[in-house]
Amino acid sequence: MRRRKVCFVSYGSTEYSRKSEASVLTHYADAIRQALERAGISKKEIQGLSITTQASPDFSPHVAEQLGLELDWVLNGDYGGAGGVMSVRRAADAIEAGHIDLAVLVGGNSFDRSTPHQRPLEYQRANYVDVYGYGGPNSLMALIQRLHMERFGTTLEQLGRIAIAQRENALNNPQALFRQPMTMKDYLESRMISDPIRLFDCVMPCSGAECVVLASEEKARSITDKLVYLVTDAEKVHYQVAEMIPDKTTFGIKVVGERLFREVRREEIDLFEIYDDYPIAVLIQIEDLGYCAKGEGGRFVEGHDLTWHGDFPVNTGGGQLSVGQAGLAGGFLHIVEALRQLRGEAEGHQVKKAERALVTGIGWLNYGRNLGTTAGLIMERRQ
Amino acid sequence: MAEATRTARSLPKINPVDRPYWEGAAAGRLLLQRCNRCGKVQFFPRPVCVECFGGDLAWIQAKGSGTIHSFTWVRVPRNPAFKDETPICYVNVILDEGVIMESRLVGAGCERVKLGDRVRVAFQETSSPEIKLPVFELA
Repeated sequence: MRRRKVCFVSYGSTEYSRKSEASVLTHYADAIRQALERAGISKKEIQGLSITTQASPDFSPHVAEQLGLELDWVLNGDYGGAGGVMSVRRAADAIEAGHIDLAVLVGGNSFDRSTPHQRPLEYQRANYVDVYGYGGPNSLMALIQRLHMERFGTTLEQLGRIAIAQRENALNNPQALFRQPMTMKDYLESRMISDPIRLFDCVMPCSGAECVVLASEEKARSITDKLVYLVTDAEKVHYQVAEMIPDKTTFGIKVVGERLFREVRREEIDLFEIYDDYPIAVLIQIEDLGYCAKGEGGRFVEGHDLTWHGDFPVNTGGGQLSVGQAGLAGGFLHIVEALRQLRGEAEGHQVKKAERALVTGIGWLNYGRNLGTTAGLIMERRQ
Repeated sequence: MAEATRTARSLPKINPVDRPYWEGAAAGRLLLQRCNRCGKVQFFPRPVCVECFGGDLAWIQAKGSGTIHSFTWVRVPRNPAFKDETPICYVNVILDEGVIMESRLVGAGCERVKLGDRVRVAFQETSSPEIKLPVFELA
């Protein structure tokens, strides 16, 4: 459905670091403060707050108390890597319904390997996956990548093109943790993690936070003259969940894309911020979005230049593969980069014609399938 | 900074929904749920039929055979307690009853595994006398 009057008005990103003494709350506060300062918004104007994290404390009222926010709307946008896009959808609903005029949405993490990662127990994962010595998301994507390679002849070199293009995009992004060029040899020779997934297929866990500020059109006009509208958005949760033999090489993004492109033509998108926990996830989403036929993704990425100055710009700031994944800031990184591009503020990696961006989020590993949560949105700059 | 806690190989935490499954496995039988209303067979065990949402689910014994749908060699397990067993051949098997099952491939010849290979269930002892893990071997 086309949105009528919801705008992105600001954003904030912390520095990313491998480890951090600072708590996730401090990262949140840094990202929010930066977003407020960028737009000249006072703390008192915040009516809504959404948080997206895998770490404790993870309740939005608790976070609001710590940050001193009195609110009319809160959300725990904990939908895995789709949490960013799905939080935007829910905040936009609240704005369109007239409940609030302005919401701050934040995602982040403080990563430290020395403390065990605590998550609520999901019994199917505990009883039917972990007991076998599973390798986590790396293994899930390995199962999917193997199927894609065997079925469609997708090659490691084709997947490497995605990782390498994103690395080139990161070279001029000061936020990125990886800013040295990557060669095909580097990619192909990186350490094997869960065959056929190698080290340079995987995002690096790190610390940091991302924030976006969403407002009603009227409120947005009082804040900025760089108006970026939320045009349309969609989600699909647990696609194929009742299928006992699912097609692992197609995500819910297929349905999301069909809905998005009812409102905006596929050809009208200038840049793509595609959730990239792995190159194979990017490739499958390009297929599912219909930019090529299923199975043709490998040939598609061979035939296009995916860098910020190319003909099909993907993850123009380097994506999570080169910037790092600060927990569920990952779902916001792509929205923030799209916003930077549409506002003409992506210094050193600015896409020439950046009027319309497509952003996706995917997350939540489900049993024997692929992804539980998938979502997408289209943003547009207007005068 | 807190020191990393030493983790053990995890075991299933049996609950009322999947108790028959684990009791079956301990007795060397692979059990699946079948809906008494629509007849759909499903895995993993759940409180409802995911097809018709019926709540009357029976347990049937699977033949224990299937084919390799996909596999990966886990070199970095999420739980470090499994490190000395790496590389672990983690598989998706499509059972002949038409459900997908995640497990591990063990035994002779598993280093040559490929998609479509036929497999048979086996039951692996664990540190708990009540729990055996359904794993697969090349048929």
